Amino acid sequence: MAKQAGSSTTPEGLVVRVRDLHVYFFTDLGVSRALNGVSLDIPAGKVTGVVGESGCGKSVTALSIMRLVPHPGRITKGEILLYREREKQNGHSIVEEVNLTDLDPQGPVIRSIRGAELAMIFQEPMTSLNPSYTIGDQIMEAILLHQQCTRKEAEERAVDILARAGMPNPQTVVRRYPHELSGGMRQRAMIAMALSCTPSVLFADEPTTALDVTTEAQILDLMRELQAAMGMAIVFITHNLGVVAQMCDTVAVMYLGRVVEQAPVEPLFYDPQHPYTRALLRSIPHVGSRTKARLQPIRGVVPDPYATIEGCPFHPRCDYRKPGLCDVRVPATTQVGENHTVRCFLYTEQGEDNG
Amino acid sequence: MARYILRRSGYMLVTMIFVAVIGFLIIELPPGSYLEFEIARLRQLGGDMAPEQIRALEVRYGVHDPIYLKFWKWFSGFVRGDFGRSFEHRLPVSELLWQRLGFTVLISVLTMIFSWVVSIIVGVYSATHRYTIPDYAITVLQFIGLSVPNFLLALVLMVFAQQVLGMEVGGLFSGAYRNAPWSLAKFIDLLKHLWIPILVIGASGTAWLSRVMRGNLLDVLNMQYVQTARAKGLSERTVIWKHAVRNALHPLVMVLGMSLPGIISGETVVAIVLNMPTTGPLYFRALLQQDMYLAVTFLMFLAVLLLIGNLFADILLAWLDPRIRFE
Amino acid sequence: MAEAETSIPIPEELVREPVSEVGQMSQWQLMRLRFSRNRLAMTGVIGLAVMYVIVFLGPFLAPNDYMYQNTDYIFGQPNSITFIGPDGRFSLRPYTYEISTVLDEQSFKFVFVENREKKVPIRFFVRGDPYTLFGFIKSDVHLFDVDRPQRFYLLGADELGRDMFARILMGGQVSMTIGLVGVALGIILGSIMGTASGYWGGLTDDIMQRIIELIMSFPTVPLWAALAAALPPISATFTALHRYFLITVILSLVGWTGLARQLRAKVMAYRQSDFVQAALAAGASDARIIFVHMLPNAASHIIVVAALAIPSMILGETALSFLGLGILPPLVSWGALLKSAQQVAVVVQHPWLMIPGVAVVITVLFFSFLGDGLRDAVDPYSI
Ligand SMILES: Nc1ncnc2c1ncn2[C@@H]1O[C@H](COP(=O)(O)OP(=O)(O)OP(=O)(O)O)[C@@H](O)[C@H]1O
Ligand SMILES: [Mg+2]
Repeated sequence: MAKQAGSSTTPEGLVVRVRDLHVYFFTDLGVSRALNGVSLDIPAGKVTGVVGESGCGKSVTALSIMRLVPHPGRITKGEILLYREREKQNGHSIVEEVNLTDLDPQGPVIRSIRGAELAMIFQEPMTSLNPSYTIGDQIMEAILLHQQCTRKEAEERAVDILARAGMPNPQTVVRRYPHELSGGMRQRAMIAMALSCTPSVLFADEPTTALDVTTEAQILDLMRELQAAMGMAIVFITHNLGVVAQMCDTVAVMYLGRVVEQAPVEPLFYDPQHPYTRALLRSIPHVGSRTKARLQPIRGVVPDPYATIEGCPFHPRCDYRKPGLCDVRVPATTQVGENHTVRCFLYTEQGEDNG
Repeated sequence: MARYILRRSGYMLVTMIFVAVIGFLIIELPPGSYLEFEIARLRQLGGDMAPEQIRALEVRYGVHDPIYLKFWKWFSGFVRGDFGRSFEHRLPVSELLWQRLGFTVLISVLTMIFSWVVSIIVGVYSATHRYTIPDYAITVLQFIGLSVPNFLLALVLMVFAQQVLGMEVGGLFSGAYRNAPWSLAKFIDLLKHLWIPILVIGASGTAWLSRVMRGNLLDVLNMQYVQTARAKGLSERTVIWKHAVRNALHPLVMVLGMSLPGIISGETVVAIVLNMPTTGPLYFRALLQQDMYLAVTFLMFLAVLLLIGNLFADILLAWLDPRIRFE
Repeated sequence: MAEAETSIPIPEELVREPVSEVGQMSQWQLMRLRFSRNRLAMTGVIGLAVMYVIVFLGPFLAPNDYMYQNTDYIFGQPNSITFIGPDGRFSLRPYTYEISTVLDEQSFKFVFVENREKKVPIRFFVRGDPYTLFGFIKSDVHLFDVDRPQRFYLLGADELGRDMFARILMGGQVSMTIGLVGVALGIILGSIMGTASGYWGGLTDDIMQRIIELIMSFPTVPLWAALAAALPPISATFTALHRYFLITVILSLVGWTGLARQLRAKVMAYRQSDFVQAALAAGASDARIIFVHMLPNAASHIIVVAALAIPSMILGETALSFLGLGILPPLVSWGALLKSAQQVAVVVQHPWLMIPGVAVVITVLFFSFLGDGLRDAVDPYSI
């Protein structure tokens, strides 16, 4: 399950590697194929953006890595590897590879990883804190769980982390209930809670969507700042390409349960390869672009996930599709630049069968 | 908090006055009341005493008074503890009331505790074991519990206790203790008799409450903060009992008020079959005999019990939910 | 967008959008699909349909009139049926046995003994007691019966020697409709009150809520009983049928409150919704908004709440009649029949008197399945 790996086999600088992940929801009405072979690399200490239209599986991807896919969803195929650093007595650390898909989703191993190494904050700050407990209680709970300390120390740490998260009056806020705080403050509390055990990856699922623009900017600044200071990786899920450009080091573009393109932020914005990425970029206003070019919505709609599509999932909406190829097989992931991969038959002849 | 309780109590008083109006209407509604019957009887009896007795009755109950005065006579008497007379039993209502009401309260409270404890445990179990065979079995039991009329369940249980367990059934005491003064032995005897009424009266309420609990918990388990708790790395047990159940209890406390009428009305009906010395048998008999002062006094007290129960439920809710507490 | 894009034009009609069947269904179609996939709910529907047919064909299905008193068969037990003919071989025609009355030496009571030697054939489509079906079909043909002087008691006889089977079917006509009528009245009352309360809010809402609280602060069965006790006795001008209707009114008077509350919440939510705001802005009248925009949207919820209310109405009638405060003779209902089974001693000796209770349980169970299925179909995420 957990095997030790020398740096030769460890992909350089990654904390999480997702390979060909399939997650299906077995609902009463049929099988919803939420993820259809997601492959994603999360570099350590960097901000990875995940973008895509609603329903393409961004949240499910993050939840799968946390092993928190809700019923009736199941991981049906693929692997999720976590590279955790283990301190050895003599000072230097070694990297251990854990295959998260092998773990019991409620077992002790994943629980020692959740909250400590993988943390998550959610879109709705209004509902992601438990209304019945104080902010302090909820932050201390995580600290007491993962670190050896007394209640008093835990409370000090909670105050400390709240202060770092830019919370005004942290000493009094620890005794407050969530409903007494504004949305922005709640999201700061959530961030404090998630960071309380210095995780190596923080999943942020649209953390600012529910906030007003000013608060959003503050929270984004805060996250960037804390990321730089604490050195963790952030997986930033959003609809907002502007935020991606501002926040992220690399970007993964998802479409219908697959990552169709992953690249560092500059090449992705200035040299997008996948037709879907291009269409996506065309559909948003460009900062600084003075051209009178009209925004173009992407033609068609996202197919519902109950449908099964032969071939590349984007082909029905794609301007470049090759009949007989795109509607038969799924393109393989192809390297097109440094850290730049894309899944499209424009760049490869290689495909794989639907599965 | 104190102000909240005070305001709630104020509401309750207003409701009680309206309850009294309804109670009075129910006394007035029946075409031939026992009072008229009694007056007619006295008149027929004749004799020297009769006209005076009739006059006394007419004055006391305001037979010839306008309706509002009649109401006032009855209501002011009621508040002072003079509930009128039971013509059938030839006794003031107050002499028939207290002991029976006491047993009704005792049984209702015990039933409520029983059904709450069972509902929470069963509800949590079935919500966390959804789509398993025990959950389906519980669902079947819940459906049956909701479908069997309580008096029928009482009959079946009594037959079972008598024929299979060989117990002496019915009533709250064995023959030897029925009229004995209170003692430890009598108390133990009471406990031995209590399980059938509690089980019977509690059955449908428990079936319903455990279903509500299951549904609430399933709702809460879908909440974001439960995911947050899981994302912290808490064990499933902690997530459920500390984070989910606590919040699933709020709606349950809110329906507490709604489960009370079921318990009290169940108690009255079941008491007839189980032959218990509570309000039920006397109440329905009084209704059949049109002995309205007795009947309405019971009805009013049952309503007051309910109002007090609701007040408790609201206070409990305020105590449980910080959002209400700070309002 | 630095580079020029080499766009390959594709004819619009080639752009097909892949959709599954589920993705295309309307709201009502989805509900129907979910409902018909629900096995319990379908059991409820089919079971109820069968029961309604049976109780309304009651006079034809039962061999005896439900009022016919057989003083020779008081508390008589159900007759047995055998498919072994008099010649000792299997026969398609069912037989029962001749009944004789014997004095039990120990209890000094008359008991009914089946004479195993004398078999009596059960005949089909035979003439017997006259009856009227559905109020207008007069007939005297019964599905099955035995030759006179014997009478056939499938489910035994009551304290006056009346056929329990016939009485249960007749009682079903009352018990299985009283809930429906009560709920129908409750819906009308609850819809008006709830909609008004939720739509206008303010003082209307306050008053309505206080009234509802007031009604809810009485325990249901005792209040029903008190109101029923106020009804006049059965007479030539106030028949049992009048009483039946007034009992349904009483049941619904107490029962509308739940519906009104639910509907109020819905209407309040709709009032805030975009489509109502848009209609208001367009100058639509209150009536139009309520009847065109709100009630059709709330229809599915009304149906669900109504279906879920039926069981408690049926149980309420059963309890009232059991106490002697509900349905009175000459009408019968299951609760009224159970009145004979109030004592343990009676039940132990004549267990068939409990059969109406089984009928109540099954009916209520089926209605609960139906209600639950409807609710799950309309709102799969609610409790
Ligand atoms: N509990 C569930 N039951 C059934 N299907 C689900 C469930 N959760 C997610 N899905 C399916 O998985 C797909 C991906 O959902 P996901 O929430 O990951 O989308 P998303 O990209 O996060 O969208 P959004 O931007 O709207 O948050 C959805 O289309 C949905 O059909
Ligand atoms: Mg999402």
